[in-house]
Amino acid sequence: MNEKNERIVLDVAYQPQVRTTRDTKSLMLDVIIALLPAVVVAVWQFGTQPLLMVACSVAAAVFFEWGYRKLLHKDPSIGDLSAVVTGLLLGLSMPSTAQWWMPVVGAFFAIVVVKQLYGGIGKNFLNPALAGRAFLLSSYSLAMGQFAVPNSLKNIVDGVSMATPLSYLYGGGKMPAYFRLSSLFLGNTPGSLAEVSSLILLAGGVYLIARKVISWRIPVSFIGTVFVLTLIFGGGDMSNLDFALYNVCSGALILVAIFMATDYATSPVTKNGQLLYGFGCGAITVLIRYFGGFPEGTTYAVLIMNLCTWAIDKGFHRHQFGVSKEDIAAEKAAKKAAKEAAK
Amino acid sequence: MSQTFKGGVHPDYRKAPEIPVTVITPPAQVVIPMAQHIGAPCQPLVKKGDYVTMGQKIGENPAPVSAPVHASVSGKVVAVEPRPHPLGDMIMSIVIENDYQDTPCTDLAPLDEKQLKDPEAILERIREAGVVGMGGAMFPTAFKIRGGIGKVDKLVINGAECEPYLNGDHLTMLNFPEQLLKGIELVRIASGVEKAYYGIEVNKQDAIDLLNSLHPEKYGIEIVPEAVKYPQGGEKMQVKAVTGREVKPGGLPSGVGANVVSTRTCYAIYQACYEGKPVIERIVTVSGSALKGTVNALTRVGTPFEYLAEQCGGFVKTPRKIVLGGPMMGICATNFAAPTIKGTAGVLFFTEEEDRHVDNPTCIRCGKCIEVCPMNLEPVFMYMYYSKGDFANMEKYHINDCFECGSCAYNCPARMPLTHAFKTAKLMFQAKAAAEKAKEAKK
Repeated sequence: MNEKNERIVLDVAYQPQVRTTRDTKSLMLDVIIALLPAVVVAVWQFGTQPLLMVACSVAAAVFFEWGYRKLLHKDPSIGDLSAVVTGLLLGLSMPSTAQWWMPVVGAFFAIVVVKQLYGGIGKNFLNPALAGRAFLLSSYSLAMGQFAVPNSLKNIVDGVSMATPLSYLYGGGKMPAYFRLSSLFLGNTPGSLAEVSSLILLAGGVYLIARKVISWRIPVSFIGTVFVLTLIFGGGDMSNLDFALYNVCSGALILVAIFMATDYATSPVTKNGQLLYGFGCGAITVLIRYFGGFPEGTTYAVLIMNLCTWAIDKGFHRHQFGVSKEDIAAEKAAKKAAKEAAK
Repeated sequence: MSQTFKGGVHPDYRKAPEIPVTVITPPAQVVIPMAQHIGAPCQPLVKKGDYVTMGQKIGENPAPVSAPVHASVSGKVVAVEPRPHPLGDMIMSIVIENDYQDTPCTDLAPLDEKQLKDPEAILERIREAGVVGMGGAMFPTAFKIRGGIGKVDKLVINGAECEPYLNGDHLTMLNFPEQLLKGIELVRIASGVEKAYYGIEVNKQDAIDLLNSLHPEKYGIEIVPEAVKYPQGGEKMQVKAVTGREVKPGGLPSGVGANVVSTRTCYAIYQACYEGKPVIERIVTVSGSALKGTVNALTRVGTPFEYLAEQCGGFVKTPRKIVLGGPMMGICATNFAAPTIKGTAGVLFFTEEEDRHVDNPTCIRCGKCIEVCPMNLEPVFMYMYYSKGDFANMEKYHINDCFECGSCAYNCPARMPLTHAFKTAKLMFQAKAAAEKAKEAKK
C-alpha cells in the first residue's frame, strides 16, 4: 500500500453516510422566527414592557437550562435553542401587566422541574412553557388575569386594565362594539402578549408548516374542533357563527394550537394520533370554556392531552407493510377456528 | 403520471451523468476476491505461476447459490492468498500481474440464434458468466431468476438509481440503449414471462425518451416512469410502484409474483449472451470531496481503491471515509488496498465536509422518521425499545421488516444512529434464532 495512505485513519461509520442539513437547532430557529412578528405586535400594542418580559423569560430559561446541566455535569444543551423557544413562549403568554420576575419563576418550573428533571429535551411529558404558565396561573392568579388596555384602544376605553373578549363570551353581558371580529384578527384586543393578533400567529403557523417544522394535523384538528363545537352549541347574544369565530380568535387558542400543542416531545408522532390529540385538545378547551371555573381553557386542555400522548401513540400503531386487511382478517379467522377446534 | 410508494426522502443527489465515461487503465496488479456474491465463496481454479487470459474463469463453487469469478486482465498469477476485501476481513483472492496484452479468453462463445431463445441456455450462460445483482446486493442472478420461474408474472427491471452520486445505470441507458433492451429481453425469456416493466425515475427523462424511441414493446418491455424519491430503487419499493403489490413481511418479491433485476445486471447479461463476455468490468462512479470532481470510471473488477483514486486525479483533501456504493446504503471500506468487485457501483471518498456526526445525539421525538419510512415502521419507538434491549416490543414494532434504507436516519434532525441500531438489532434477532435452533437440535 501507498505509504501516505497507510497513515490515514479511516472512519468506518454506520449508514447512511449523508444526512439532511436540518438539525434540531435549525428547527428551533424556525420556531423563533415564526414567533418574532408576534413580539413586534406586542410592542406595538403594549409598549416596551413586553420586550423586558420576553427578555427576562428567555434569559431565565437559558440560564436554568445551562445551570442545571452544568451543576449535574451533563452535556451542555443550550445550543439546540429549545430553551430559547420555551422562554419565548412563556414570556409571550404573560399579560403585559405582569412583573418581570414572574416569567423567571415560571421558567424555573418549566425548565428545571418539567424538562430537565425528566432528562431534558425530548423526555419531558408536559409542554414546559405551558406547564410554567399553569404554575403561574395558580400561583399568581390575580396578576395573570389582569390585561392592560392595548394602545389602539386607549382612546376608547378608560382605565389601565380591561376585560378580554373571551370573558364576554361566557361571562354574559353584551360584547362591546370595539371588539369587532376584525379587531381580534388584526390585534386590537387585550390579552397575553402574543395572543392579540390572530393574523400574525396564523402567518407564523403557515411558515412552520411550509418549512415542515410541524404538520397541519394538530393545529387544524384543534382549532377545527373548537370551531365546530361552538358553532353547534352557540352562546352569548350573537349568531352561532359569530360565536364560533370569536371563540377561535380569543383566549390564546391559535397561539397554543400552533406553537404549544405541536411541541414534539409531548404530542403524538403518528398521523391519526395527531388528529385525535388535536380533537381532544379542542373538545377539552370547549368543555372548560362552557363549564370551567375560568373562561380560558387551552392551557389545561393541552396539558391534559399531553398526559394522553403515550397511550394515543400506542393505539395508532401503523399497519405493517405487505399485510393487507384481508391478511389480518384471515389470520383472525384462523385463530378463531383454532380456538373452536380446541374446544 | 409517475408511479411511486409512500414515504421516502429527497437527498442531495449530486448526480453527474453529463460527465462521459472514463476508461481506467487497469492496474499493474489486480486483486480478485473469491467472494463477490451472496452465497458460497469460490474455490481458486488456478495457482501461483499460472498464466491466465482476460475473462478466464479462475474461481468456482458448484453450490447453487454461487457465481464463478473471472480474470479481469491477462497475465501471470503471482499470489493466491487472503487479501483485504472491500467489505472488510481478509478473503482468499487471486492476484494477477497484468501483462497489458488483454489476451481474450475464448471459453465463452456468443450464444447462437436458437440459444438466445432458450431459457435454459440463457440461465446457464448467466451463471457461467458470473452475473450477480449488480445494484449492490450481489445475489447470484441465475439462481434468482430460476427461483421465480412459474411464480413470477411481473418482471420488474430496476432503473431507479435512486442513490445519490451514482450514474452507472443512467450512462448505460444512454450509451447502450439497444443492448440494454436486448439484455432485458433475455431476462424476460429466461423468466418465462410475457412482459417486463422497466421502472426509471423521471430525473433520467433523456434516457426514458431514448429507450422509448427504440420501440421497447418489440422486446416485450414497457417503460414505467417513476417519481424521483429515495429509496425508489429498493426492491420492495420497485414492486410497489410498478405493480401496486406489497411484498409480504420476511418474504421475497417472488412471493407476490414479482422479480426485480437491476439495469446493470441486464446489461451484463447482454454482454454474456451476445458477446460471450463475463463480468469483469463495470462503471464505478468515483466521487466525494476528497477528490477534484466526479469521474464515471469504467473499471476492471479487482482495481484497488487507492489506484482508482490516483487514476481519478488523486486526493485534494485527506479522505476520511471510503464509501462503497451510494451514500445512503453504502458501507465503509477499511482498507485503501481493497479492490472493486462486481457489486461496486460507486467509490466515494468522503472528508469531514460530508460528515454531520454529533457526539451525543438526543431524540427530540419529532416523528420525522415515521413520515419517511417506506416500510410503514415507527423508528422512534423501535430505537427506544432497542436501547432498552426489549426484544418483545422490537418484534411488535416489526423491526425485522427494516431493510436499512437509511431514510429515517437521513431525515433525523437529532442525528440519531437509527439505521445502525436496527441493523444491529436484526443481527441480534438472527443470533437468537440460531441459538434457539441449536438448542433444539441438541434435544
